[in-house]
Amino acid sequence: MRIIGLLIVIAFGSLLRYGVFFFPEWGDPASPPSLHVSPHYIEEAIAETAVPNLVTAVLADYRGYDTMFETTVIFAAGLACFMLLRVLQRQVPECRLYRHIPTGITLRIEKGGKLPTESGSFERIDSNWVPHDLIIKSTSRFITPFLQIFALYVIAHGHHSPGGGFQGGVILGAAVIMYAISYDLRRSIQRIGEQATAVLGSAGVLIYAGTGALCMVLGAAFLDYGALAGLLGVDPVMARSHGMLIVEIGVGIAVSAVMVWIYYNLSSAGRHDEGL
Amino acid sequence: MENLSPHFPALIIIVPLIAALLTSAAGWLNRRLCFHFAALGLFTSLLVSTGLLASVLDKDVILYRLGGWPAPWGILYRIDRLNGLVLVVIFFIAFLNLIANKRTVEESFPEQLGGFYALYVLFVTGLSGMVATGDAFNLYVLLEISSLTGYALIGIGHERAPLAGLNYLFMGTIGASLYLLGIGFLYLMTGSLNMTDIASLLPGFYGSPVMVLAFLLCMTGLFIKMALFPLHAWLPNAYSFSPSASIGVIAPLTTKVMIYVMIRMTFDVFTPDFSFKMMHLGEVMVWLAVAAIIMGSLFALAQTRLKRMLTYVIIAEVGYMVGGFWLGNRMAVTGAVLHILNDAVMTLCIFLAAGAVVYQICGDDFEDLKGLFRKMPISMAAFTVAALSLIGVPPTCGFFSKWYLISGGIAAGHYGFVVALLFSSLVNAVLFFRIIEIGYFEPFSEGEGGHGVHHGPPAMEIREAPAGMLACLLLAAVSLIVLGIYTGDIVTRIIDLAIPPAI
Repeated sequence: MRIIGLLIVIAFGSLLRYGVFFFPEWGDPASPPSLHVSPHYIEEAIAETAVPNLVTAVLADYRGYDTMFETTVIFAAGLACFMLLRVLQRQVPECRLYRHIPTGITLRIEKGGKLPTESGSFERIDSNWVPHDLIIKSTSRFITPFLQIFALYVIAHGHHSPGGGFQGGVILGAAVIMYAISYDLRRSIQRIGEQATAVLGSAGVLIYAGTGALCMVLGAAFLDYGALAGLLGVDPVMARSHGMLIVEIGVGIAVSAVMVWIYYNLSSAGRHDEGL
Repeated sequence: MENLSPHFPALIIIVPLIAALLTSAAGWLNRRLCFHFAALGLFTSLLVSTGLLASVLDKDVILYRLGGWPAPWGILYRIDRLNGLVLVVIFFIAFLNLIANKRTVEESFPEQLGGFYALYVLFVTGLSGMVATGDAFNLYVLLEISSLTGYALIGIGHERAPLAGLNYLFMGTIGASLYLLGIGFLYLMTGSLNMTDIASLLPGFYGSPVMVLAFLLCMTGLFIKMALFPLHAWLPNAYSFSPSASIGVIAPLTTKVMIYVMIRMTFDVFTPDFSFKMMHLGEVMVWLAVAAIIMGSLFALAQTRLKRMLTYVIIAEVGYMVGGFWLGNRMAVTGAVLHILNDAVMTLCIFLAAGAVVYQICGDDFEDLKGLFRKMPISMAAFTVAALSLIGVPPTCGFFSKWYLISGGIAAGHYGFVVALLFSSLVNAVLFFRIIEIGYFEPFSEGEGGHGVHHGPPAMEIREAPAGMLACLLLAAVSLIVLGIYTGDIVTRIIDLAIPPAI
């Protein structure tokens, strides 16, 4: 069986290699992809969309419909993780660990034992993450605001430099995940709950689809941002640029929320109790 | 209504997308709304797609520029008679199955209703988008949506469903990647992603090996996705372990939509000239289809559980359509296209019936089916209609598409295919009459334990499926006969005009 597999892989690989001999030269300006569609994007994008970053113009406007579904793919991934992993029956764990903060002593409380009250002097710790970690906590606390501001910058500046909703959203989500890793999952879930991540995930995609639908209501084609000109008080070309910003914000919200949502489910095997 | 009608091609996809998002949000805010959002979204799309089909009958082709950009710079939707018809079928099946399985979903996923319905509606969105789009890459994106949600819908079942879902994920991802690679090759040669545009540029590259590779890659990817023998191994497990509500939409639609995509790619992207005349693939494909039909039927014979048996019947049915299509004559292609429609509704009906049985008696071993006709007479009547249609008995629709396929096989002189079709019809007859026999003649198994207590036949109680499920099941069964009666109209008014004159 293994040999058959190997033979198939070799045959397939050599077939692909054979095809490569007939490809246009790498980076050849006279190859079909450089001659057919791209010249229009390169020459006209600024005049038609007022966005200097070509990639963003193609991604969010010319082929914005694809991007809307790419965002939906991410949302669907979050949903899939939620459906497959989430355990909703409350299970009491075998034992819980608490740290007495003033002394640093760790208490192990077996199932059925009396749990400490929610006073300030005990904190619950994960069973696989016992040590004090002052350096990690302080560093992450120090980095988080910069990370978040950088994420917002990447989302907002996608029109002019590499970036956009996907990249910015990932950075924003990573900030929350870093918080969850350096402190613990429960604290992170207290700040940004599961419900918030799920609802924000669909809200982000809804901003994208809703913007498209608004264009439709205003009489243009779906996602034809030019129709927003009247609402935004700018000319139709500038409205395209602004429209892209709106959908990029939607993408950013969706991506960051879904990242966190997936992390919650993956790291705790769906229990949302103890995690990485 | 008047000013919305130019937007119909976008609305059929956008309405369910937005409905899915609202459904998911409603799952967290007010769970009772989930079902309503999902049902409303699918029903609206069903209406819109019917309107679209009506207008496409007059206008031939409706184009819609998404974002207002002309092709090839932007993405174009292209609705013609063929995909207009497929779209109506998709939404009809998805809506019917949603209503039928309201109860089972509420019982299986009481706290994850929003998630389930959102996945369900997104799955349908992906499929319908794949059918409606005129852009080869956009098709891939929507394929991703329907695949991803499909894996999840399968993985949430019981027993070995997560493992089966994972297997399906591996195979499905390979299939989708091959398709994407093929599209990459096409882009490399032509610089375009719009289907019509690629088709107009391709004649210059007919001799190129890259074209041949692109064609083979796209097709292989689609064959994996449609579970054509011998690439079918993922299907039986994935389909038999998943919840009834998921399988009721996945089984009728996934393979059929993939076959439609294959037809779309060969007709509208690679052009019939290239696909049929220059590739010399027809013969190989028809023999593969023959193998699929025969192996699918034989495997089906070996099964002892209802749902699992049906999954092998699906594999055989895929062979019908692939074989009919690659015979490449007008009669056979008509049969293949007609069978997409008929088989989708047949599969819906038989899986709804199986779902009703599983819901009531909590099992689908043949042993459990004893005495079922007395216990669930209406469900089993619908089951029988679907079985007759799968066997190919007139006046059910299954007969007519099989008739076209067999006539096409004879016209092409391909007797292997004809024999395979007849063989599979016989096997289907054996399969379904065996079940009908168990259900009709063998005594109900619960009575056996009580010999000492009662004398005479055990008291038999009618325990039918819930009313909603039953109504949808009956509607599906009736539509099998209606489709059969209107076959002539469907063929002359829609399919005949949709097949390119070159065939």
